[in-house]
Amino acid sequence: MEVDLVAESIKFMILGMLIVLIFLMVLVEIMKLQARLINKYFPQKAPTAPTPNISQDEESKRVAAIIAAVAEFRKNQNK
Amino acid sequence: MRLKRLILSWLFILAITTGSIYASNTDNHATPLDTKAEEEVYVSKTIPQMLVSFYYTTGLKALISPKDGVKTSDGKEMSHFAQGLGRIIMFGIVFLLFYLAIAKQFEPLLLLPIAFGGLLANIPIANMTGDHGMLGIIYNMGIANEFFPLIIFMGVGAMTDFGPLLSNPKTALLGGAAQFGIFGSLVGAAMLTEYTGIFDFTLKQCSAISIIGGADGPTSIFIASALAPELLGAIAVAAYSYMALVPVIQPPIMKALTTVEERRIVMKTTRKVHRLEKLFFPIVVVMMTALFLPDAAPLMGAFALGNFAKESGVVDRLSNEMQNSLINIVTIFLGLGVGSTLASDKFLVVETLGIMVIGLVAFAAGTAAGVIMAKIMNKLSKEPINPLIGAAGVSAVPMAARVVSKVGSEARPGNVLLMHAMGPNVAGVIGSAVAAGVLLSIFN
Repeated sequence: MEVDLVAESIKFMILGMLIVLIFLMVLVEIMKLQARLINKYFPQKAPTAPTPNISQDEESKRVAAIIAAVAEFRKNQNK
Repeated sequence: MRLKRLILSWLFILAITTGSIYASNTDNHATPLDTKAEEEVYVSKTIPQMLVSFYYTTGLKALISPKDGVKTSDGKEMSHFAQGLGRIIMFGIVFLLFYLAIAKQFEPLLLLPIAFGGLLANIPIANMTGDHGMLGIIYNMGIANEFFPLIIFMGVGAMTDFGPLLSNPKTALLGGAAQFGIFGSLVGAAMLTEYTGIFDFTLKQCSAISIIGGADGPTSIFIASALAPELLGAIAVAAYSYMALVPVIQPPIMKALTTVEERRIVMKTTRKVHRLEKLFFPIVVVMMTALFLPDAAPLMGAFALGNFAKESGVVDRLSNEMQNSLINIVTIFLGLGVGSTLASDKFLVVETLGIMVIGLVAFAAGTAAGVIMAKIMNKLSKEPINPLIGAAGVSAVPMAARVVSKVGSEARPGNVLLMHAMGPNVAGVIGSAVAAGVLLSIFN
């Protein structure tokens, strides 16, 4: 056997671990950078859950409107 | 009743005696008949003769008395052992795999079709693994050309959420460190070859075996079929059984390398990740692959496509297809195709034993490297890092992360590490794809 398998495989290991770690380190830096950029230029909208903001009063007005609309629609259909 | 039985037994004895006379007669004439087989017309036979010739076509005959000249699927002469006892041993192994898949729930989605493929592959005479056999067709369709693992990888990409990784990017390094399982066991395999003399692995074979340490089924199959297709069956079985054994293999190593105080560390809650970050991530990965490691492009490309389809949010139909029907269909084919390499002539070799040992070492080494890396990071970084999450760096998504969470909550009840462990876990998938790309690039 000409090539020393063990020496060869140790070279593989050094190369491999180096590339894997460098690849991931670069990836980490890119992830950090893009997180910073994105949150700067496209700030996450503050939790804008619309439903809880609607007051009870507004809600009941809405329901009334819907009921009226449905009633009107039914009336027209029966004609 | 008795009369009937008497007549039947008389008939039977008569049949056997006349049959044997006929058989001896036809034996004498057998050779001239065979030579003009070209225009052979149908020769009328007696019932006993038909029974005898039928017996010659049964698997029973083939198993009991192997003959020369039987070819394996790759055209080599098949040994008598592989034809007879070897097949019977393989049936036993296949039944064991069924047991593990069904009763023990060891990665049943893959182990079950693989084992069934192995069962079919060992049927004598049928030649299921030949070029025109069912398993042979499946094998050539998508395993020999490394196609099926990529489709699986696409589905895995569509199922993976990179949110936990993006919220704490530096945990990606843990997924890198755990790839020491691959390269460490590569050295181990080389040492086994060099110093024991039992095994005779080439460098390509060593590399293909060591990829088991990536704890990623599709990557293992991809690399094995590219570098050492003759070892594919054993590598796939080892990879999937050890992945299933992660909850058994990992905890002792994790506990041995950490103190109770370290295991009790509570990590900061993860920040919310912007949708755009998730959307850009697969593109970043593909671009990095394109620039640094084109050899990993098939794996990364498929993975990123699946993930991009999911995160884009506009092609739910495609993403659902990748996550469900497509991956399921391909899993069936992949399992059967891999199972076809469980034929006795390929699997019952001393190398299989070596692969099983090296695979186990690879898993242990990967876990240990991940935990040690996490300990170092915990010392260096301002935010506390629980060293246990390093163990999730061997891919095995999401099993490894669940194991971490379990061991963590044993040390401190209520300490949920699952989301923190998912970061290194998905980074491990990328890490093993990078490692696979490095191995491929060396041999190209």
